[in-house]
Amino acid sequence: MSTPVPGSFRDPASRVVFDGDKVTRLLDERGVEGWRALSRTEFFRKAVADGRLIESVEVDPPDGSAGALIHPRLDLITYPYEWTFSMLRDAALLQLDLLEEALSAGLTIKDATPYNIQFVDGRPRFIDIGSFETYRKGEPWIGYRQFTRQFLFPLMLRAWVGVPFQPWLRGDLEGLTPAQMSKLLAGRKRFNTSALLHVRAQARMESRMGDRAVRKDLSEAGFNADLILANVRKLRNLVGSLSWEEGEQGWSTYGECSHVARDRTAKSEFLETALKRFAPRRVVDLGANDGHFSRIAAANGALAIAIDSYEPVLDEVYRTSAGTSLAVALTDLANPSPSQGWASQERASLMERARPDLILAFGVIHHLIYGASIPPGEVVRWLSTFGCPVVLEFVSPSDEMVSKLVGNKLPHELHPGGEESEFRAILDKLFVTSDEHVLSSATRVLFALEPR
Amino acid sequence: MIFGYLDPGSGSLILQAVIGGLTGIGVAYKAYRAKRGLGKVDPGSEQDGDEEKAGDAALPAES
Repeated sequence: MSTPVPGSFRDPASRVVFDGDKVTRLLDERGVEGWRALSRTEFFRKAVADGRLIESVEVDPPDGSAGALIHPRLDLITYPYEWTFSMLRDAALLQLDLLEEALSAGLTIKDATPYNIQFVDGRPRFIDIGSFETYRKGEPWIGYRQFTRQFLFPLMLRAWVGVPFQPWLRGDLEGLTPAQMSKLLAGRKRFNTSALLHVRAQARMESRMGDRAVRKDLSEAGFNADLILANVRKLRNLVGSLSWEEGEQGWSTYGECSHVARDRTAKSEFLETALKRFAPRRVVDLGANDGHFSRIAAANGALAIAIDSYEPVLDEVYRTSAGTSLAVALTDLANPSPSQGWASQERASLMERARPDLILAFGVIHHLIYGASIPPGEVVRWLSTFGCPVVLEFVSPSDEMVSKLVGNKLPHELHPGGEESEFRAILDKLFVTSDEHVLSSATRVLFALEPR
Repeated sequence: MIFGYLDPGSGSLILQAVIGGLTGIGVAYKAYRAKRGLGKVDPGSEQDGDEEKAGDAALPAES
């Protein structure tokens, strides 16, 4: 029994269904033509071998399809609004590299969206084989506008304007328009050659040309693949030059905090014991910070999904994760990525995709309770909805970190349930405590919990 | 003509020729002139009322 993938419906030539643990791509006649052309190239063989393209095997198609491919099912799907700056930049460079190589092999990629790229073992991999088709003489790059809206402008927004791109990509799945990006650029950047061309000239041309059909005119005027290649190479230089450094210190010095250094060994040992006890295949590390505990989970054979809301630290985790089973997802736990898009199903919520076998919540729930003002009972109830063991760190109201978090709050403005005895009573309603350990400060307690 | 499922943006299609370099500017100019005023009366005919040049069109509105 196959199940359509909710996010795979826009391209009539190629759509994807889940069939148990397999992913099947169903193709129409044009899709088959594109696949056959791609599969004959040396470029395809090399890109699959080096992990930049997903593996694909042609199989007999079911009724109603002209062709079918089987792909391996990826452990985790993440969306660009959950990526850090380096992830989106690496994905953009992969998109451009593959297009350049495809054009050299007589093919093209008909779209340019980051949703066609996923991160596997810390590296980007292009997964939409149906995007490749034979390049027809005189055709322009159809995906150029989409590339600028979903890759280039978000990167510019962070690198040149200093504004995070993730809220924008989460709010508008199509990305920033050239007109929007043009209004956001300020100062000398407005006169940068790349800004003049890709942003302001594109905005002006969109406004002037409307939706008039121009592909035939371009073809007759002599458009050719060399013009696309020249554009792609310039874009590659531009994307490669975009960088971003967080000015403020924030949590980037988290590992140097006294309580972190003091408790890290004890927490690592507690986690190792829990990993042996529960043998999880998928660990979701809430508030992963510098990824120390995610790495322990990954080293124990699990897929570790490091979730945090602070981009500078998570970006560093990504940049050191190549070759490991550590994945990262940038999201605010008080407002994690929802289900959205067409029929509110096109893009699934992060927690639906994460599917944890074990939740790790070290040094995080006091931020939800005292920072985001979520009642302790509601935090515990949310953790119980995953139906899996939880390893968590309780932080008492008398802890120095909590004192900082509640510095501007009066006692009556805090939810009840934060004291250790109250919190234990809340836990006991939904979980059985398998193990616990009081940390040296005596204000923090580690729990290994199993759902009742 | 082959049409995809994606809206490529007419202005973006012509612009990418300009970005492609000197040869592309010529291509964009020809395509832009061929498209001036199309669709107002007869999709197959050209109109000459627009005095703007493709080179102007490729420049930003603001300075």
